[in-house]
Amino acid sequence: MAETLLQLYDVTRSFGPFVAVSGVDLGVEAGSIHAVIGPNGAGKTTLFRVITGVLRPTRGRVVFAGEDISGKRTHAIARRGLSQSAQITSLFPRLSVLENVQAAIVSRSRRSSDVASWFHWSTRAEAIEMLERVGLASSAGLEAKVLSHGDQRALEVAVALATRPRLLLMDEPTAGMSPFETEAMVALIAKLRHEENLTVLFSEHDMDVVFGISDRVTVLAQGRVLADGTANEVRANDEVMAVYLGAPE
Amino acid sequence: MHGAVVDIVSTLSTAGYLFIVSAGLTLIFGAVRVINLAHGSFYMYGAFLLTTIVGLSSGTKFWLAVPVCALALAALGALVEVTVMRRLYEREHLTQLLATFGLLLIFGDLALHLWGTGARTVAPPVPFHGRFTLAGATVPAYDIVVIGVAALVGAGLWLLLTRSMFGWRIRAAVSDPETLACAGVNTKLLMTMVFALGAGLAGLAGAIVSPQSSVAPGIDQAIIVSAFIVTVIGGLGSILGSALGALLIGLAETLGTRYVPDWASTVIYVVLIVVLVARPSGLLGAPER
Amino acid sequence: MAGEAVLPRRPTRLVRSNGSGVGRLATARLIATPIVVIGLLALLGRTLSINNVLTLEEVLGLAVFAMATNLLLGYGGLVSFGQAAFYGSGAYMIGLSWLHHWMSFWPAFVLTPVVGAVAALLMGLIALRTRRLYFALLTLAFSELFYQLVNVRYSFTKGATGIFAVSMIPASLAQPRTGYYFTLGVASAAILLLWKITVSPFGLVLRATRENRERAEAIGVNVFRHQLLAFVISGAFCSLAGALFAVYGQSTYPDLLNWTTSGQPLFMAVIGGMFVFLGPALGALLYQVGFQYITQHTHDWQLVLGGALLLVVLFRPDGLSGLVLSNPFASLRRRIRGADSGVTEAEATSILEQVPATVTPRSVDQREQMEVPPDG
Repeated sequence: MAETLLQLYDVTRSFGPFVAVSGVDLGVEAGSIHAVIGPNGAGKTTLFRVITGVLRPTRGRVVFAGEDISGKRTHAIARRGLSQSAQITSLFPRLSVLENVQAAIVSRSRRSSDVASWFHWSTRAEAIEMLERVGLASSAGLEAKVLSHGDQRALEVAVALATRPRLLLMDEPTAGMSPFETEAMVALIAKLRHEENLTVLFSEHDMDVVFGISDRVTVLAQGRVLADGTANEVRANDEVMAVYLGAPE
Repeated sequence: MHGAVVDIVSTLSTAGYLFIVSAGLTLIFGAVRVINLAHGSFYMYGAFLLTTIVGLSSGTKFWLAVPVCALALAALGALVEVTVMRRLYEREHLTQLLATFGLLLIFGDLALHLWGTGARTVAPPVPFHGRFTLAGATVPAYDIVVIGVAALVGAGLWLLLTRSMFGWRIRAAVSDPETLACAGVNTKLLMTMVFALGAGLAGLAGAIVSPQSSVAPGIDQAIIVSAFIVTVIGGLGSILGSALGALLIGLAETLGTRYVPDWASTVIYVVLIVVLVARPSGLLGAPER
Repeated sequence: MAGEAVLPRRPTRLVRSNGSGVGRLATARLIATPIVVIGLLALLGRTLSINNVLTLEEVLGLAVFAMATNLLLGYGGLVSFGQAAFYGSGAYMIGLSWLHHWMSFWPAFVLTPVVGAVAALLMGLIALRTRRLYFALLTLAFSELFYQLVNVRYSFTKGATGIFAVSMIPASLAQPRTGYYFTLGVASAAILLLWKITVSPFGLVLRATRENRERAEAIGVNVFRHQLLAFVISGAFCSLAGALFAVYGQSTYPDLLNWTTSGQPLFMAVIGGMFVFLGPALGALLYQVGFQYITQHTHDWQLVLGGALLLVVLFRPDGLSGLVLSNPFASLRRRIRGADSGVTEAEATSILEQVPATVTPRSVDQREQMEVPPDG
């Protein structure tokens, strides 16, 4: 399982004179949990947006499962198995929790232009199962927007999962969560990797989460890769400590 | 050569009043993000009010009546802002479109009661009611007036927005209303004043144009379509954009009437479609939020 | 299904969302509703006076127009001020076929949805590249363009005069009651088809694109294509509605194409309720009946319409069907109990465990329902 699922080659993205991301080389192994950390403004979100096709790389390539996806449109990348749950909670607010997931299943099944069938009624079982996995089955009928913040993040994961991705991108999955919710999210990520063999690439500020669960960690600072290695290697790296953490735990 | 001069004057004259109306519309949109279909009503009321004032006493100077109309409409605009527009600021565009369409209908109906159903005309003021020779071509003298007023309005707006405190505050309000409020500026009053200014501009346009075309019910709906097209072509919120848009439409209409007279009325829509295909947010506009 | 009765503020018969395992009661309601409604309307066709039957005939055509427009508005989140272009095209298809002897009524009638679909495809390819307000104004411009084109080409279309000829439709349909039954039949079929589309997988995905365009793209949906499909479907049905108008009025004229006509189905959808399937139909009824009643009593119909529009839009954005369907006491109880979601987790769990998600759930604050999230 040493296959590299996602590989970034010299990825650079600038906005006019401002270079947000510069010369980033990054490899994510299939079946691993890979974290990207760095201070605010380090370029993590921009990097993720380049990977998912929201932004085109100014330079460099993004290769996913052997295919160059640099600059492809978001929906095309999603169809190839790379899904994301966003930093700002991004759901379908007035659709029910169940419908949020069903929409993803319908899309994955390539039935989204189907005007004539009852197909999505049959997706209900799978959608409920998806919700059970993230612990939201009991809220199936509620409108997505009335959920608590933690539940909304969980729903996001469910929706992303419903597209049956090979790689799941998560931009600050525990942002704004209580300790209790954070624990639940971490357990969920671990479970997904174990049970689904899902590959996860996520960015985080919470160091407990990062070092508790990641196989590999990449440190970004000012758009460049500062360090890249296993969790322990990075934790022991003084430069990283100095730039980012201030004082160690 | 003669033809060209006539065309240029005609283009500038059309562009002129379109710019005055559209500048008001785009100013309001830029500041408070509201689309106001009743802007057309302000235009029509400005025109009708002028006919009333000039008709009142035979000696009344046209030039006095015009600013009075503008000010009256500014006052009406302020009233409308306080009562209705305020509630629309954070609402969806459809809500704004429908609500202000409701206003358009209401004002249209009131106008029928105030001024009747017939058309009215006003003669251009004395020094300008004839034709005028310019570089060997004869053009309607009043066109020059319209062009002159439009230029003044453009210059005035530019000065206002770039050099005055008021203008600075408007621009600040556009980018960050909350911080501005924290800085002690009465943003509500500011919005009212911006809206009043926009309405005043519409009234001014109506008054200025009244000698050139008949003033009748229905011009509110007609002008609002043209004003929107000009504003959108230029990019919502950009005054320079509406100047460009007005010029483009003025040119298109003039050339259209000259070369394809049968299809002249379709030209304005074709231009809009072409521009938006090339630049989906207008010439100088930014994509919304 | 005990749970169904308890869940507050659920639109019951008027909307269906998705969810398999629909209970037998719900299925029965699903089948019975159209049968009852259509049966009732058929009965009215025999018992009402000629004038009322004609009014109802007009309302049916407008209902199709409004509901087709609402596919874009309520379901797709697209505000199009150009649907009259298709409506008028449908009417003109009938009129011009007669005027120029292209074909007899029946083939022309059958072709009208095709005409609408093609026009919508062309318009959509251009217009859907723009967003929000620019889209609304661009569609408005298209509507006006069609209007001007028809107005200008007098030799082809009879310009501003329009085409008025009873013989443009078969003599049988010119009889009020026969015409009414024909319209009822066509409108029912059209509305049932529209309903089928809204509860299809496409309908769900379309609503998702309305809620959050970016997220829809992120789950692999090509939003442009889906909006285009919705636009084409809407155009086809609007065109059909226009043909129904030709049957009702035996006439067609340029005003059917201008932007204020485009505004009518939007008002109807908003007044009747754009998040409820039959809302626009209710709006069409209210609009037409209201219009007739008002014009009989006063010249100031614009004042009344404008005022009504303003008030509904400001204070009742859910439309009047929101009034019909809501349970004001449940809402009051919940507000008193507090909690931001209005339903506590425990309550939700117990209520929802056995209930299939067969309806579009309502949130507590209805005022928000009109608002689309600011992501375009």
